[in-house]
Amino acid sequence: MSSEAIVRVRGVHKYFRRGSEQIDVLMDLSLDVPEGEFMALMGPSGSGKTTLLNLIAGLDQPSEGEVWVGENLISRMSEAQLAKWRTRHVGFVFQFYHLLPVLTAYENVELPLLLLPLSSAARKRQVTTALDLVGLTDRMKHRPGQLSGGQQQRVGIARALVTDPTLIVADEPTGDLDSRSAEEILDLIGEVRKSLGKTIIMVTHDPRAARRAERVLHLEKGRLVDEATPEDAPRGGSDQFQEAPR
Amino acid sequence: MNRLIDFLVSLPDDPLRFLAVAGVILALAAMLYYRKPVAFIAKSLLRNKVRTILTGLATGLFVLIVTLVWSVLSFLSLVTQEKAKDLKAIVTERWQIPSQMPFAYATDLADGGATKKDDVKPTDSMTWQFYGGTLDPVNRTRENTVFFFGMDPKKILTMMDGIDEFSAQDRANLEKGIQLMEEDKRRVVIGIERLRAMNKRVGERIKIYSLNYKDLDLDECEIVAAFPEGRYGQSGLMHRDRINDALDQYKAKNGKPHPMADRTLNLVWLKVPDTATYAKVAEQVETSPKFSSPSVKCETASSGVASFLDAYKDLLWIVQWLLVPVLMVCMALVICAAISISVRERRTEMAVLKVLGYSPNHIMALVLGEALFIGGGAGLLSAGGAYILFTHVLGGIKIPIAFFPAFMVPPDALWWGLGLGVTTGFLGSIVPAVFAMSVKVSQVFSKVS
Repeated sequence: MSSEAIVRVRGVHKYFRRGSEQIDVLMDLSLDVPEGEFMALMGPSGSGKTTLLNLIAGLDQPSEGEVWVGENLISRMSEAQLAKWRTRHVGFVFQFYHLLPVLTAYENVELPLLLLPLSSAARKRQVTTALDLVGLTDRMKHRPGQLSGGQQQRVGIARALVTDPTLIVADEPTGDLDSRSAEEILDLIGEVRKSLGKTIIMVTHDPRAARRAERVLHLEKGRLVDEATPEDAPRGGSDQFQEAPR
Repeated sequence: MNRLIDFLVSLPDDPLRFLAVAGVILALAAMLYYRKPVAFIAKSLLRNKVRTILTGLATGLFVLIVTLVWSVLSFLSLVTQEKAKDLKAIVTERWQIPSQMPFAYATDLADGGATKKDDVKPTDSMTWQFYGGTLDPVNRTRENTVFFFGMDPKKILTMMDGIDEFSAQDRANLEKGIQLMEEDKRRVVIGIERLRAMNKRVGERIKIYSLNYKDLDLDECEIVAAFPEGRYGQSGLMHRDRINDALDQYKAKNGKPHPMADRTLNLVWLKVPDTATYAKVAEQVETSPKFSSPSVKCETASSGVASFLDAYKDLLWIVQWLLVPVLMVCMALVICAAISISVRERRTEMAVLKVLGYSPNHIMALVLGEALFIGGGAGLLSAGGAYILFTHVLGGIKIPIAFFPAFMVPPDALWWGLGLGVTTGFLGSIVPAVFAMSVKVSQVFSKVS
């Protein structure tokens, strides 16, 4: 176990029950993610990538085993404790952006900050900084419907960054974008990683996205089967991903 | 400004109103403090304007009906409530409706039937004689018919109910009219709504053909003042001596008394300071041999009205305990349906909020907030509209019950409307709010992706 690991997954087993049948999603999985690492998770559909991401982000609980993020054993937290913890420690980037359609870009980015004890001036400063970082200060009054897919994902990234979280998790952040926008988003994630030193865990089917990561982990049938450098990731574009079933 | 100060000063006397005001102030303060989440709730409601407006309209309609029903019920409850101080005792004929007593009872009844040294006397009294008439005996219509209270003008200001609620101008007009009636007993006061119906004005003279005193028509009745709209808007007032003089003239002209001569006193009001005095006076009156033929009964104003309302008891019970609760349940169901649809449509959004760190309680508060906005807003607007429309424009809810031709929607309806809307909004949104707070993030996103 690395002493600098910010994420530590220990002997995690996750299963669901359908009637009397037990469906194993993750089996005896252990993993360390060092602070500041950009890691990609790959694997076929149903391999447990998103489930593992949800466990690390505190969105789900393991059936067995432990998940630590920093000093926090998040696998033992209640739902309310996890919600509080997520506000400060996790920024989440979705495949389909999931911006609230009735709010402007500014208000969407501001949403997580409403849970923190900040003055309105401090909130404004943080939102403006986050939007500036993703290059959307001129679109802050636009609603999601008035933005392109790439711009919406930028807002999503700004929303994930605005609380200055310990960890950024991204679930196929380029999965709904054309290849040019996808490249721009990957550039942006790379910049964030470099300039802010954030730990980033990204689930992806897209080998081009995986090649941006420092480390690529492969999951199959709920087990880690391979660890590779980005150079080992299969060649191909996002078109390949579009065809791949999830 | 004075009304506002009076209102604020009177707040501690009414715990319910005090709580309502405190609740509104707290809610406003909370809305100001949490203005961002409140703005978010308002924006969420605006995402489907048609549904929000329709839900608001349905809620508003229910609140309107409940407000109108409660306006009638609360007034009836008020007039049938026993007071502890300054009670009005009503003396009427014991065995007959309508009560018709000899006018000779008036003087002794004014003393509460006191004969012995230990007997107590009322602090004030007033006689009532009813005189109904029409301007056109051949073509009698509702419009040309008028109903007068025959009474001693001196007692009107001190004994009649509701005079304190007149505006300064209306009261001054009435005082002037009373003074003119005392100077000339042919003068009368008629309510403004009745004057309009009769197409008459203050200053005109009318001849009234009696409906309840055969051949006792009254010439040269000069209208000297008008009651304002409201409680006495349809009524008339005449000097009691005008009726008594007409009866004397009838006797002189016909050589025999009028058939109604000994039955002209319809009721007598006695003012007593407290319930103990009332009990004593009632005993004096009911046991006095002076009032034995016909015998009389003495009851408080509230119990008198309550006895009269006995005929409506079952209907009022049904309205109060069946209709109103059913309407409230319907309101809650309408809100529940609208909020449920909205929550189902926004499961992903609820899940996103959870991912961002919003706790289940936050999610619940957002959903409840939407329902409270719709319910409270629609309730307040509806009850406020009912108050303005029925009390200030239409002259009341015109459903004649007992002695009351119309019922005003009280200003308190604003609290009822707000409270009713908020309560039903809350009740209606509990189920969808619980559904929203229990949304499982992992399940929602596994379906989305």
